[in-house]
Formats: sequence, structure tokens, C-alpha cells
Amino acid sequence: MSECTHRWFITNFRAGYLVLEGCTHCGGRSSFFSREPAPPIDEYQEGKHFWSYMCSYQAVKFDLECSACGRVVGLDDMNALMLSTCNDPRCAVAELRRSRGSSRVYVALCADNTHTTGRCVSAGGIGALNEYFNQDLEPSDSRVVVVPCERCSSIDTCRGIVLADTGLTELY
Amino acid sequence: MKVSELAERTGLKGINSVAEKEVERVYISDMVSDIITGPKPRSVLITLQTHKSLIAAANLVSVPMIVVVKGRLPSDDVVELATSAGIALFSTDLDAWSFAKRLVELGF
Repeated sequence: MSECTHRWFITNFRAGYLVLEGCTHCGGRSSFFSREPAPPIDEYQEGKHFWSYMCSYQAVKFDLECSACGRVVGLDDMNALMLSTCNDPRCAVAELRRSRGSSRVYVALCADNTHTTGRCVSAGGIGALNEYFNQDLEPSDSRVVVVPCERCSSIDTCRGIVLADTGLTELY
Repeated sequence: MKVSELAERTGLKGINSVAEKEVERVYISDMVSDIITGPKPRSVLITLQTHKSLIAAANLVSVPMIVVVKGRLPSDDVVELATSAGIALFSTDLDAWSFAKRLVELGF
């Protein structure tokens, strides 16, 4: 275990698009981060899935680096952060919001919302995110809590506000 | 400087009412993806955006005060979200640059 009291800063900043796709065969949803100048909209087959473009938002990816010990925590497995507004009594994240009385519970969304691969945002990444967003707060400030999306009872029904630039490319 | 003092000295119009907080610095942005990685805690955020996701991003990085420029007003659900997060919302008819100059004159 590290002896360092980490002091995190953002590194390896990548701007791009969060692209959402749907499978026309099974109705499944998937997302990925693209660094292309314009979001890719091609349809393609992947195993039993036939992925079709649904929408995209401008978004960023970044890693965290400790200025004290130089450790870098990669966050490539996180596609976005979402402010939880979930009230589902079966959801552990909603229960966390209730028990803390907090409006500052965020869900780190990974690419595979089904979690069939058994992977989600890494524990090291979640730990570093929690430390980063709380490291400059006053003792009287309420804490930010970041949890992996595998804690949600179902990411398809979990309510929240995804931190992405919704609507920026729309005309209105 | 306290949020209420800054608002009074710059002629801001209050949109909601939350507990008093301190602000120490300024950040200007209209992009949620930028706000996640930009402002330090206790920053005043100057923006043209009134979308809900802006409040969610400001809440994450501990922004206590948002000034919406060019007379825009957020919808009721956005105001409600900001209030529940303890973020003070204000409006000004000035553009971002003109309002930022006022903050510079105040010593920010």
C-alpha cells in the first residue's frame, strides 16, 4: 500500500465524443469514446449485435497523476460521470444518497452497462477520483462521493444527469 | 469575498436563495466537459449555458456561485437542482467579458 498522501492533478486530457449505440437485433445499448474529429456513425456487426448510431455528445477523458509520488491512475475505463438522482429503493446508489442526505453522489459510467464482462471502472480509479474531487474542500463542505456504475441496480433504469455537452451541436 | 457581497457590488439579479458561501476565483466556460476539469473549489462560474448538466458539473467541482450572462434565465427544474446543491444562481444582462472586467476591478 502506498505511503503517499496523494495530491492529484489531471493529466492526459483527451477531448472527443461520447457515442451511444443501440443494437437493432436485441435492443441492447452500448457507448464508446471517440477521438475522431467528428463522431463515427457507421453501422457494424459485433458478434450477435448489430450496432447502430443513436447520438453523441462532446465529452472528455483524463487520467489522474499524483504530484508527490508521480503515480498515474488511468481512467480509460470510465466513459462519463453522472450525478445520481436515483430514488429506486432497490438501488444501492439511491440508498447511499438517502443515507448521506447528499446531493453529491456521482456514478462513474463504464462502457459495458451490462457488466457481462465482469469489468467496470477500476477500484484504483474510483479511489483516485474520490480523493481528487475532495482534496481542496474545506472541512465544512459536503464530500463528493464517486461510485462505479456496477453499484447501480440497473444502469438502464437508474436516474441521473450525465456530465456531457448535451445539445451543443443542435440548432435552436 | 462572500457571494452576497459580490452580487451586490456587481449589480447581479438573484435567481435562487441558498446558504452564504465564499468565492475566491473566477472561471468562464460554457462547456460541461470543460467545467469538470477546470474550476477549483470556491470559483465563480460565468456562463451562457442554462442546461441541467452544467449544474451537475459545477456541483462536482464545488462551484458555489454561477452567473448566467446576457440576460438568460434557467428553467425551474435547473433552478431547483442548483438550490438543492447549494449553488447560488445569478443573472446579468452583461456579456461574459464585460462581467469578468467588473470582477477584475473588484480584485479577482
